[in-house]
Amino acid sequence: MSNLAPMLSLRDFSVSFDTARGPLYAVRNVNIDVADGESLGIVGESGSGKTVLSRGAMGLLPKRAAHRSGTVVYDDHDLSQVPRKELREYWGTGMAMIFQDPMTALNPVRKIGSQLTEGLRIRLQMSKTDAQARGIELLTRVRIPDPEAVMEKYPFQLSGGMRQRVMIAIALACKPRLLFADEPTTALDVTVQAQVMQLLSELRHEMGMSMVIVTHDLGVVAGHTDRIAVMYAGEVVEIAPTKQLFANMQMPYTEALMKSIPRLDAPSGLRLPVISGRLPDPTQPETGCSFASRCPYVTDKCRAEAPPLVEISPGHSYRCWFPIGGSR
Amino acid sequence: MKLGIFKSLRKYSIPTLLSMGWLVIIALTAVLYPLISSVDPKAIYEDDLAVGPFTNGHLFGTDTNGYDIFQELLHGTRLTLLVAVIAVGVGGAIGSLIGIFSGYVRGKIDAVVNVVFSAILSIPNLVLALGLVAVLATAPDVNSTVSSWRQVFVVILSLTIVIIPILGRIARGATLSWSNREFVTAAKSMGAKNSTILWKHIVPNVLPAVMAIAFLAVGVVIVAEGSLSLLGVGIPDGNSWGAILAAGRNDMEYTPHVIYFPIICIALTVISCNQIGDVIRQSLDKREARI
Repeated sequence: MSNLAPMLSLRDFSVSFDTARGPLYAVRNVNIDVADGESLGIVGESGSGKTVLSRGAMGLLPKRAAHRSGTVVYDDHDLSQVPRKELREYWGTGMAMIFQDPMTALNPVRKIGSQLTEGLRIRLQMSKTDAQARGIELLTRVRIPDPEAVMEKYPFQLSGGMRQRVMIAIALACKPRLLFADEPTTALDVTVQAQVMQLLSELRHEMGMSMVIVTHDLGVVAGHTDRIAVMYAGEVVEIAPTKQLFANMQMPYTEALMKSIPRLDAPSGLRLPVISGRLPDPTQPETGCSFASRCPYVTDKCRAEAPPLVEISPGHSYRCWFPIGGSR
Repeated sequence: MKLGIFKSLRKYSIPTLLSMGWLVIIALTAVLYPLISSVDPKAIYEDDLAVGPFTNGHLFGTDTNGYDIFQELLHGTRLTLLVAVIAVGVGGAIGSLIGIFSGYVRGKIDAVVNVVFSAILSIPNLVLALGLVAVLATAPDVNSTVSSWRQVFVVILSLTIVIIPILGRIARGATLSWSNREFVTAAKSMGAKNSTILWKHIVPNVLPAVMAIAFLAVGVVIVAEGSLSLLGVGIPDGNSWGAILAAGRNDMEYTPHVIYFPIICIALTVISCNQIGDVIRQSLDKREARI
């Protein structure tokens, strides 16, 4: 990690949605920095707010439904103060996003080539021939065989893995400095998952960009990130350098996530541990720790009072009254 | 080239091909009418009053005034199709523009548009058209007459107004669903402008849905135009199929063939349009299923 000013810095970042049952707090008081060239993983189960966090940071949430508070500082510009129209200047070239589902994130009626070169033409004002050449280069870069032919194909003619590669190529088209990868491998087969993650890692090093990988699978980010933030019920409950997190996790939720990864060396016939219970209702503000209802080590103090974020070592913080490593 | 056309036609069923054939025939008739027929459609055959089909060179017979039904129908094709195409074309264009815009921006504009569309749609097509024609195409003074062109214009205008909410609603609904798709967010995240997103991402996806309904709307318009004629406020003087039908209805007992032939023409056209509309919709459904 560098000691320079972070490229992206979220301070007290919260997102809430209006629902029939009142405001729904999807992301609550998140403080995260992403340094230049760093790769950060955001891990959590479905509904923990990780997708909303990444889209909210970019400013892609529908303005009518979502309310953001706190600040998002990108490269010394406070994006929460930037009017929506000017935000577009940052999208594509500054920040870009790879979307979760390559089946729906491509327009079914337009050729790959025209979707791929759209950003180049609009944002970088490239000529048609230049954009075409660059498009083919990008497809080659994401290891798509016969890129000239793929440029002329429609999304339905490609397989899921190919489409995800095309999505990556589109996101990389304008050479963003920061790439959000929102569950980039969820829609893919396990075999292709590894390839895509490997590809993303390589591209990140080649292009020297920062990356935020959002996933529910700790295994996916383990080898490809510098730091990992664990999210639960809209809060960051533990954040640490990757190695530190795996070696010395403090928060029971992190431990539970870790335990629910299927292991090859587990005896056969053993049931995969699951985290019982469900996420707390995001429309009801919590009084205690958000994980209290599902935590195996829960005490009365946990239910009564929300734990603050505590730093145990440089860069490693967690939210828990009774951390696993500590005295219980 | 020729072979290619036949090859691409082979994937359609026989009813679809017949429908296409019929629509091509009437379209050509309408466009090439001056080349096809040099006979005055309003010529009166005094010696052959109210004769049946295939008599003395009158293919479909004549009516009690001595008009040749076949010639009248050929001539009527022009105005019938003109009314239908303009009403659906203009109404569809305006409706789609309003629908796509309001579906994309949402919010208050969309709420207002939706209410207006619903309000217009709640009035039965024919009643609405009848009301509009009655208001716009009647002379304030009983003794003065309204010119035929004004009457034709008003019929087209009122049918256009009938079509706007029908197609507008389809366009709005399709836009609402397409603009929520991930690829729109993806395009946005690459810095695409709203205009780019609308034209390149939404319109190409919405248009086929509108097209499918537009063909059905052509049928609706032709029937509505004929009904207006029957009610006495449509296109005057036997200049459209509906008008021929309306003129013949008084002598139904003596010369029933006078109403059979326009009815057959209207029915074939409406059925053909429905068939083509269905084919478009089915191909859309298939595409949807593949996505």
